[in-house]
Amino acid sequence: MTSAGGFIKAIESGSKHLLIKRFTLRYPEEKLKFVGDGYQFDPKKGVGIAGSRGRHILFHDKCTGCQLCAIACEGIAEAIGMVKVEEQWKHNKKAIMPQIDYGKCVFCALCVDACPFYALYMTNDYELSSFTKEHLIYTPAQLAVKPKYDGTMELRIGKRGADHG
Amino acid sequence: MLTIVTLIGLPLIFIILFYVPLPPVNGEVLTPYLFFSMMVDPSRTIPIIKFLIHTDLFRVAVFPGFSYAALLAAVTIYVERKFLAKMQLRIGPLYAGKIEGILQLIADGLKLISKEIIIPSGADKPIFWATPVAFVATSAAVAALIPVAPGWVVANVNVGLIAVFAFLGFFPLFALLFSWASNSKYPFIGGLRALHQMIAFEIPFILSALPVVILSGSLNLSGIATSQHPYWFIFFLPISAFVFYISSLAELERIPFDLPEAESEIVAGWLTETSGMIFGLLQLGTYVKLYALAALFVILFLGGWSGPQIFPTEILPGYTGEKIYNAVTVNAAFWFTIKTLGMIMLLLLPRGINPRIRIDILLHTGWYKLIVLSFINIFVALGLIYGGILGPGGLVTG
Amino acid sequence: MPDFQQKVDETMKMGLEIVKESDEDRFMTLSVGPQHPGSGHFRFTIKLDGDYIVFCDPDPGYVHRGEEKMSEYRNFIQNIPHLERPVIHDSTNITYSYSLAVEELCSIEVPRRGQFIRAIASELNRQVYTLYWLAIYGIFLGHSTMFMWPTGDRELFIDLLEALTGARVTHAFNIPGGVRNDMPEGFKDRCLRQVAYFEKRLKEYEDIFYNNPLFRQRTEEVGILTKDDAISLGVAGSVLRASGVPLDIRKAEPYDVYNEIDFKVQYMKSGDSFARSMVPFLDMRESCHIIRQLLDKIPQAGEVRAKLQPNPKGPPGESYKRVESGRGALGYYIISDGTPRPYRVKISVGSFRNMLALPFLLVGSKLADMPSIYWSLNYWPVEADR
Repeated sequence: MTSAGGFIKAIESGSKHLLIKRFTLRYPEEKLKFVGDGYQFDPKKGVGIAGSRGRHILFHDKCTGCQLCAIACEGIAEAIGMVKVEEQWKHNKKAIMPQIDYGKCVFCALCVDACPFYALYMTNDYELSSFTKEHLIYTPAQLAVKPKYDGTMELRIGKRGADHG
Repeated sequence: MLTIVTLIGLPLIFIILFYVPLPPVNGEVLTPYLFFSMMVDPSRTIPIIKFLIHTDLFRVAVFPGFSYAALLAAVTIYVERKFLAKMQLRIGPLYAGKIEGILQLIADGLKLISKEIIIPSGADKPIFWATPVAFVATSAAVAALIPVAPGWVVANVNVGLIAVFAFLGFFPLFALLFSWASNSKYPFIGGLRALHQMIAFEIPFILSALPVVILSGSLNLSGIATSQHPYWFIFFLPISAFVFYISSLAELERIPFDLPEAESEIVAGWLTETSGMIFGLLQLGTYVKLYALAALFVILFLGGWSGPQIFPTEILPGYTGEKIYNAVTVNAAFWFTIKTLGMIMLLLLPRGINPRIRIDILLHTGWYKLIVLSFINIFVALGLIYGGILGPGGLVTG
Repeated sequence: MPDFQQKVDETMKMGLEIVKESDEDRFMTLSVGPQHPGSGHFRFTIKLDGDYIVFCDPDPGYVHRGEEKMSEYRNFIQNIPHLERPVIHDSTNITYSYSLAVEELCSIEVPRRGQFIRAIASELNRQVYTLYWLAIYGIFLGHSTMFMWPTGDRELFIDLLEALTGARVTHAFNIPGGVRNDMPEGFKDRCLRQVAYFEKRLKEYEDIFYNNPLFRQRTEEVGILTKDDAISLGVAGSVLRASGVPLDIRKAEPYDVYNEIDFKVQYMKSGDSFARSMVPFLDMRESCHIIRQLLDKIPQAGEVRAKLQPNPKGPPGESYKRVESGRGALGYYIISDGTPRPYRVKISVGSFRNMLALPFLLVGSKLADMPSIYWSLNYWPVEADR
């Protein structure tokens, strides 16, 4: 009877999985590891460098306040607004820098592609939740902080199946 | 807190002790005051504990009765979730309780108690409230007929097997009543499907238990369990065991036969309008019924509580007073529990492997194939009896 | 085809007549609506006569967002993030077709390594979408294991796509001119290893799902769509290939580097639900071979993106390009009037065409066949509403 054979194969396949390791990643005790430092863009060559798209990082010693990132975002999510900062830089006469509203940002990184001065990159940090909407608006000073991310797990394929550590 | 204990608790205990008959100890009548003072003297407390264990209340509430069945049902729900999760390469409940989510059931129970019970407008309120309670009561009645150890059964009925089938015949009625009382379209379809399914599988269910009665000669469940003395009935009646297994999957509405609650077609079938504790009561009834049918399979085909004696006859050698520990009973209860748990795992397995079946294939299987299969084993059993192999005076008897 | 037109007329007339009769008495109206575990974000109304469906009326539009109109207010590069949202887990294919159309309008030449990377991302995304579709198909039929295993194995490909593009689902990877970044180091070995592991998993799916007698009983001979009906209705993708028409846009009108890849078009002849659920599975196997060939033939170094001005624009004109996505042919028709913003963008999707087969197949079938027919038509409601 072919149907009996089909059932026996199905039971065999299901029971085989009792010996395979579980696939789940036990977040937040274990976090994934990312290769590299985040998505970056090289304006001279015109091509990006592969990386994970998380929170932005703004280098204050390179940003000139040209607003190209805000113009790029206007058609997409309108998440970047320029604000006045108190710092005085020689290359930033107007003293404005971008502030990013993560309630609106879609993490597409077209603002990183638009910046011609190597000032705006993205990092690996994706844990950005907060309790109020106002806390999601990151000022230029908050964006300058380099995040500390220490994930170590990665997908491993072994003899008893694939698992996340 | 202390006032509640002293003003309510202690008088309550005294009132109960006045009404529960206590045995005389050392020639004097046992009053409640003497009862409390006996607590510290082992030679006087053991007869009391032994007497209490043998009362009817203990049998109904604790050992083969409600607490045992509910405990096995709770363990079944947890094991089902973890077992299916392992087969599906994931972790089941994890965070409730320190070790791998062991308090998940308590968390679920608290959640269900705290939810609001929504009754649709136009629903028939008395039936809507009464049916889940009746469902749990009938499941508990089926579980009450199951003997766990020799002499330990809540209701020792001489026609026990027929009583089980009589109780199981109520369940399609509850499904239909509840779905009709819900006054909604999806429960209506689900109730009709439940009716078709359970009635179609009752006949193979009863027919597959018939050869067991032929071979053992009695309808009393304890008698059936003890009469499987040299060999268990599953060796002589494998096809009947298989038909019984499939029919109990259909009776319990488990995958692959969970059409009455098919989620992607009719939202939740006849359980659509349940919410809160009504859902909790229905789940409790379902899992107690699962325990009862698995235990029934063990009694009919797997020899009940028979197994090699692995508990020593005396714990404290040389003790000559009254004893609570009875080696035969503990051994029987242990083997029965092991076999029932194994059977429950076998009933949980098809959930991880099969999709849902369709109603016309189900009815075709139930009315044609299973009835034919169960007749085969009836003839085998009759042949074994008349050929002189089994039964009184046969070749293979103990 | 007068015969087919007659069948359609008869079905519609029967439906309207049934509605005219007093439908309170005999037929029960069920609204399989958005709040139903078996329908996704889509609503269709069915009338039941006992267990048989006699009338079906699909009602799309629940998730319409105006993608085509929104495209007229953004320039060609800014259109990418919102145009990939209709099918968020197959996002590379829906922007692939857009990029091809814009490149033809503005006469942009894509470097060769960029074309290969685009094809690799498209194949990986096809696997992601098909595994998601298979998972939902399993749960519609009540098979919870077939929901968990494909969802777990999807992580293999999402992991690869994250290393390549930077995000798990919302890739925004294809732009007119190529792709946005090059492959990271170690990508090729990782990809080959994970694809090899995935091919072993496909055997398990066959054992527990496709060869399971209960699944076969539920889907064989159910919802049969003959070859002529399929061509007349205009269905697309795996539905068409399951009815015996071996049409795959990657072979019929090859774009980018697909004319250098050697693969077979998978099709089956029976046209029932089983064939429609088997063809995407065979497609997944074929995709693994395609990925291996692409990784083999990719040039070792080179540009991946053509240098463009920040707001690319082209001469006034129109262009139409098609791509084979997970659900069928996905085409873009773009009219440009010389400015950096398009004048009109029309998206033509395979899901909307497959929806036309739904009332045609459901009438006359049992209620229990409704999930297996509906989901096997490979219909994604968000894409059909755009």
